[in-house]
Amino acid sequence: MNFLSLSVLVFLPLVGALLVAATPSKAAGMQRAITLLTMLVTGVVGVMLCLDFDGSSAAAQHVESVPWFTLPGGIPVQYKLGLDGVSVLMVALTAVLGPIVVLSTWGHIHERVKEFMVWLLVMQTGMLGVFLSLDLVLFYTFWEVSLVPLYFILGIWGGSNRLYATIKFFLYTLSGSLVMMIAVIWLMYRTHSTDVVQITSVAGSLPHDVQMLLFGAFALAFAIKVPLMPFHTWLPDAHTEAPTSGSVILAGVLLKMGTYGLLRFCIAMFPAASLEAAPWMMALGAIGIVYGAFLAMAQTDIKKLVACSSVSHLGYVALGLFAMTAAGLRGGMLQMVNHGLSTGLLFLLIGMIYERRHTRALDQYGGIATVMPCFAFFFVVAVLSSVGLPGLNGFVGEYLILLGAFQASPWLAAIAVTGVIFGAVYLLMATRKLLFGPVVHAANRTLQDLGAREVVLMVPIVALIVWMGVAPNTFLSRSEGSLNEIQRRIDAARGARAALLTPTETDRPLLAERSESTPR
Amino acid sequence: MNRELYESIFSAPTLMATAPFLVLSIGVLVLLLAEVVPGMTTLRKPIFLASIVVAGWYAWQTIQGRETWAFAQTYVANSTTGWWTMLFLASTAIAWIFGQKYYTGDEAALEPEHDILMLTAASGMVLMAGSRDLLVFFVGLELLSVPLYTLCGFRRARRDSVEAGLKYFLLGAFAAATFLFGAALVYTGTGTVTFARMNPADLSSPLVMVGAALVAASLFFKVSVFPFHLWVPDVYQGAPAPVTTFMATGTKAAGFAFLLPAAAAMLPNSSTPVLAVIAVVTLAAGNLGALVQTDLKRMLAYSGVAHAGTLLLAIAGMRNDSQADGATQAVLFYMAAYVFTAGGAFGLVTMLESQTRAPVTLESIRGLAQRRPGVAAALALFMLSLGGIPATGGFLGKYLVFSVAVRSGMVAIAVIGIVLSVVALGYYLRVIIALYMQPEASPKGEAAPVRAGAGFVALVCAAMVLVLGILPAWFLDHVK
Repeated sequence: MNFLSLSVLVFLPLVGALLVAATPSKAAGMQRAITLLTMLVTGVVGVMLCLDFDGSSAAAQHVESVPWFTLPGGIPVQYKLGLDGVSVLMVALTAVLGPIVVLSTWGHIHERVKEFMVWLLVMQTGMLGVFLSLDLVLFYTFWEVSLVPLYFILGIWGGSNRLYATIKFFLYTLSGSLVMMIAVIWLMYRTHSTDVVQITSVAGSLPHDVQMLLFGAFALAFAIKVPLMPFHTWLPDAHTEAPTSGSVILAGVLLKMGTYGLLRFCIAMFPAASLEAAPWMMALGAIGIVYGAFLAMAQTDIKKLVACSSVSHLGYVALGLFAMTAAGLRGGMLQMVNHGLSTGLLFLLIGMIYERRHTRALDQYGGIATVMPCFAFFFVVAVLSSVGLPGLNGFVGEYLILLGAFQASPWLAAIAVTGVIFGAVYLLMATRKLLFGPVVHAANRTLQDLGAREVVLMVPIVALIVWMGVAPNTFLSRSEGSLNEIQRRIDAARGARAALLTPTETDRPLLAERSESTPR
Repeated sequence: MNRELYESIFSAPTLMATAPFLVLSIGVLVLLLAEVVPGMTTLRKPIFLASIVVAGWYAWQTIQGRETWAFAQTYVANSTTGWWTMLFLASTAIAWIFGQKYYTGDEAALEPEHDILMLTAASGMVLMAGSRDLLVFFVGLELLSVPLYTLCGFRRARRDSVEAGLKYFLLGAFAAATFLFGAALVYTGTGTVTFARMNPADLSSPLVMVGAALVAASLFFKVSVFPFHLWVPDVYQGAPAPVTTFMATGTKAAGFAFLLPAAAAMLPNSSTPVLAVIAVVTLAAGNLGALVQTDLKRMLAYSGVAHAGTLLLAIAGMRNDSQADGATQAVLFYMAAYVFTAGGAFGLVTMLESQTRAPVTLESIRGLAQRRPGVAAALALFMLSLGGIPATGGFLGKYLVFSVAVRSGMVAIAVIGIVLSVVALGYYLRVIIALYMQPEASPKGEAAPVRAGAGFVALVCAAMVLVLGILPAWFLDHVK
């Protein structure tokens, strides 16, 4: 059996979870070691698979396909995994963040370590499965299975209001998912297949209203997961109550399942419906950017601030993807990874300072830079990456997104640009309150700077942040083939749509500007 | 009765077709004898288990064999009825093994009678699943119901048990009368009570439709569909826990086993929207009712009502389904998952109840994960399966049932149904919260050890829930 295969990648963490479950419950050291080792090996396997990937091709690679079971009507459900340009960066991100998250738990998970490690590993299997599934039923299975570990992580190791947050998170996400389940069933019986690649190629021939309804059901599920603006209320609650590692997974990977779904199942599968809905989805994104920024500005709890900034940053992703232009798609893709890295890093740092001071209220800090210079350095890097300083990753993504959005809708792009400014305002204000100025609170004078473990776990993220800022093409080139293919489908749908609409229809200004011939 | 028919009753195919039923009946007789023959009383448990195993073996033969009709087209044995029989036997075994030692210390409860009644009820279920005739079904129904009335009130010294028995008996008797009245009307209109002899043209007469509706109502009572579900929480809570386990899984399965062919044979096409609405209302009633419960048996009772609503969705969609056997397969798979899930859940409740001698509530299971990780993990798994989370049998069952609804064009109804089932997670998650996320209510020292039998069955149930969810191919290929 080939060790470098997607099945190994997906199920290695699960094997690790079983191993951890078999250890005696008091042996916390052993449980941590097994978990870290499993995550490291998973990370290496994941990265190697992503390196061994031809980005210029749109076809799924490393494909594994085995018949799973047959549904009534003779529809074969497959166990089908594959890596393509849409998933490759997400898989790499998940694989890299895994060991980092495990290392971060050393500092804050001291009770029921075994259960925590088991859930962490199960989570990893679930998330990798979501990104790698190329069968609708398999995808749906992983999609919902990945809810359960976070439910436990939030509910057992969360803050004081954790039970409320955990139920809210679960039910919110589930209501979207279940509507998606009906869409999956419908799509399956309409196309007589559950193979994502096959369905993508034939979904365009479904009646237009069916496409719209299916698009709507999928978009709802993913919009709740992302979360886009009116569906976002579960996220700040979940982040505030989650332990650091839970927040890092949530922000780093789990939310990306939503944006990933929007790209693979909404835009790629139903480009015609997506075009129709694009102005609305872009508007939700733009509103989310500004609204999230305002929310963040009003926060006094640093963790809640970053949580709200997530709403804002993921608004960019939606804006970019639904601009449905070459630049927008690339920007959205890149921004998914950016957000995972920079917000993940911010949550890690907030966790570290919380472990020392046991408060997240901004007014309890001030002048930390003089006491913890190393912490301050990493924090500033994370903030600058998050606000989009040129030379770091955030800039590339936001620039491409705004470029793409401008081609599609200058007005929405203009609104979104203000989000960049507001983003700088709240993040830099928070940085000032946290790091600079005099040390007012006596408790802050004796804070210990970061230890070796904490530095080690953050170094890879910082390296990637710089790398992506300087040479984004290393990463974007991996998605090139798939994004071009999606673009081709969008253009075909756009052509078909333009042929339908009469040229006298002037009450749709968005359409005229969305053509690819617009000069950049 | 003509000679030919008379001879056919004792022919080899007929005997083979009815073998599971006969084995269980013989088991009942032997158990009765064993109580009076000196020295045989110790054989009670082996005889009970042997009856189930042998009946299971014959059911397996039925599954593999060809379809056989018996007793002048009133009884059928095919792979579907074979699978139903397997489910009834599994349900009986689960309830019985979990219920061992449950009555210890209760002088008024007579365990030998308990086992005899349970086996009798199981034989009734087998007859119900195979019958294709209203009167043959009625015999099976009474063979099931009368022992259950007794079993519900089995703890004579306890007020709530007697109350449950009486309540179930009164309402059950009423339902039985309704059934007979409906059957009489159907007979008046069609001249027969056998499905195979009914003339489709007769079925649309108002008389027959009223009769069919009355028959359906009494079946809805058995499977706890709105508005005939009101007895369920009280009876489930008051009845001895092993009986509740048995009723929740077995009776429901038997009811649906007959509801499928009965609905196909007797209900007109116009019934589809009515059934769909009843299904959705049942889902709402069950889920909203369960949301406010703190007693686990009551909560699971309401959850059972909601599950009946989901299953009714498949029956509503059956007529317009593009896959001929889609609904049967969906309901069978759903019930298979449900028997092991709810059986396991009720079984663990039985076990906890018999250890603490107190009702199992959300309060009393708080922090159970710390004291007994295995029990808590199994209960959590059952809750997730009841909630239809993937990788469990509950998910695939739900998926298949909603597939029927979508295939038959009821997409809007399916969406409403599925949104209502989000509510269900509200209470299933509360159980997991109590198990894992809340501190222990009152540390009562060391927990009593889990008995080997109960532990083994819990493990089998959990394994089945996962196998049905992860590797359903074998089962799906055999249920056709």
